[in-house]
Amino acid sequence: MIFRLEKLIPLPMLEVRTSGSSIWEADSFIFAQGEKYLVEAASGKGKTSLLSIMYGLRKDYRGTLYIDDTASSTLRPRDWSNLRKQKISYIFQGLELFDDLSARDNILLKNKITGFKTQGQISEMAEMLGVDMFLHKKSGILSFGQRQRIAIIRALCQPFEFLFADECFSHIDKSNSQIAMELISSECQKQNAGLILTSLGNSEHNLKMRVSI
Amino acid sequence: MKYLFQILWKDQSRAHLIWAVIGTLAGFVLLLSGIQFYENMNKILKANQDLLDPEFIIINKKVNIGRTLGLGSSGFSEAEIKEIAEQPFSERVAPFISNEFPISAFTRSKQFPNFYTELFFEAVPDEFIDVKSPEWGWKEGMDFIPVILPQDYLNLYNFGFAQSQGLPQIPKEMISMVQFQVMLKGQNEKVSYKGKIIGFSNRINSILVPYDFLTWANKRFGYLEKTEASRVIMVSKDPTDPAIIQFIEDKGYDTIRERLKSSRLNIILKFVLSFLVLIAGIIIGLALLIFMLSLQLMISRSSEKIRRLSKLGYHYTEISLPYIIILFLLLAVVTLLSLVSSAILAGKLTHMASQWKLELASGLSATVYAVAFGLISLLFLLNSVSILLSTRKLCKN
Repeated sequence: MIFRLEKLIPLPMLEVRTSGSSIWEADSFIFAQGEKYLVEAASGKGKTSLLSIMYGLRKDYRGTLYIDDTASSTLRPRDWSNLRKQKISYIFQGLELFDDLSARDNILLKNKITGFKTQGQISEMAEMLGVDMFLHKKSGILSFGQRQRIAIIRALCQPFEFLFADECFSHIDKSNSQIAMELISSECQKQNAGLILTSLGNSEHNLKMRVSI
Repeated sequence: MKYLFQILWKDQSRAHLIWAVIGTLAGFVLLLSGIQFYENMNKILKANQDLLDPEFIIINKKVNIGRTLGLGSSGFSEAEIKEIAEQPFSERVAPFISNEFPISAFTRSKQFPNFYTELFFEAVPDEFIDVKSPEWGWKEGMDFIPVILPQDYLNLYNFGFAQSQGLPQIPKEMISMVQFQVMLKGQNEKVSYKGKIIGFSNRINSILVPYDFLTWANKRFGYLEKTEASRVIMVSKDPTDPAIIQFIEDKGYDTIRERLKSSRLNIILKFVLSFLVLIAGIIIGLALLIFMLSLQLMISRSSEKIRRLSKLGYHYTEISLPYIIILFLLLAVVTLLSLVSSAILAGKLTHMASQWKLELASGLSATVYAVAFGLISLLFLLNSVSILLSTRKLCKN
């Protein structure tokens, strides 16, 4: 799977200085499957906007986004639904968990429509990230860091060719985020998926492709 | 699905849904029991039409001052008879024919006191006559004329005149034994026939002789001016048809109203039913509105959650499913309850009717089931479409 951005720019970014941006200033930019990208910038430079456009959540942009040579504007709700179930996984900056459901049910909500992981694998991942003892609790009462890790596990409960991780370690301590990053990397490796990680610019992860936005 | 219910059903007020169910239920019970009631009554009317013998309807023109003074004809013209025959409710029509020559009748018997009277005869084709007797009928050359009198004449004598004058009552059989002479007076001849009363008619209020005889006699003796038929007898396929009484009234004709009771009852029934249907329609329309608004409210209350589910890859049809299932269950409850309560109502009605010695079918008719399932399907369809449209709209943005 390849994302190709043709002179793509979100409408709100037109009013912001974008000089030096290797994405908004480029005539064409490509995200290729199997590669790992670190999109680094301060707040307000359009990191989340970029991922939202590529995930089909935002339509307020100029230019064209091609997903495997198909202009994204031609995709219908059914197509986006299938992409989100089978090809693109997203760890949202706002997490998008359901507070009323337990942490486990939040994960299962995703896993039920993909049937990708077994209960055992889910517990295993939770154990690795140190949240296995919180799985039965309602996600609304967990700390942001704990919920971030639940969101990461949920995102891994589906097949994907690209994983979007939007500042997903912001509230996780150093050692845990190291473990989480390893988990994400190995999942990407297994599925030969592309990874787009956004960060405020203080990331310690060593990714090959650093993109400034 | 379990999770979707948990997410979308949470924090929803159920009160408005209950009101929507109650409203729809009320409308349905009203409509269904109304239809059932109408069908039952219709059945009674249809079943009793043989008893009332109303399929033979005798129509005459109203007697009014104008006609008494000779303005306008009191008889039916050919065109008017044809018009009656062309009405959708009339099966066969025949005008009464009457004698076009003077007639008198008298007795010369030792057993009975003598009497003499001037007389008239009328005739209609045999198929319209309710008296079945082997003596009825006439062929050229016969000197015996069978006569049918109205039952009312005999009653009038037996229960009115005889009692008040201290005269003996006369049974039917005895009258049938009396032979009398009938004198037909042509312009140049007088011919005497033997006459006998062979029966009494409940249907036709006239002195009847066989049709064949009167047409023959008119040809032979008739010299008076031929008048138009003053009465017409009609057979109707459906005497409960309200169009009959409508037609008769519109034309300014008259008939024995008793005979058209079921027709008039039917008009009232139809009126009541259409009123009921109108009310039920309004209630069901409002209930549909409440249903739609309730579901819209539920959806818009959950709009954030629906968007979130869409972000996780749920298609809007998958998100709509819990709402559609809830809708289906509610409508199923409405259908079941309204059918049960309509059946109970119909049962009560049957019970009441049996006390009045009326035969009513218990249970609901096929029409009621058809209307119920048709309407429920329509409600289900409209609401489902509205659910799908609104979740789709939420998921697109």
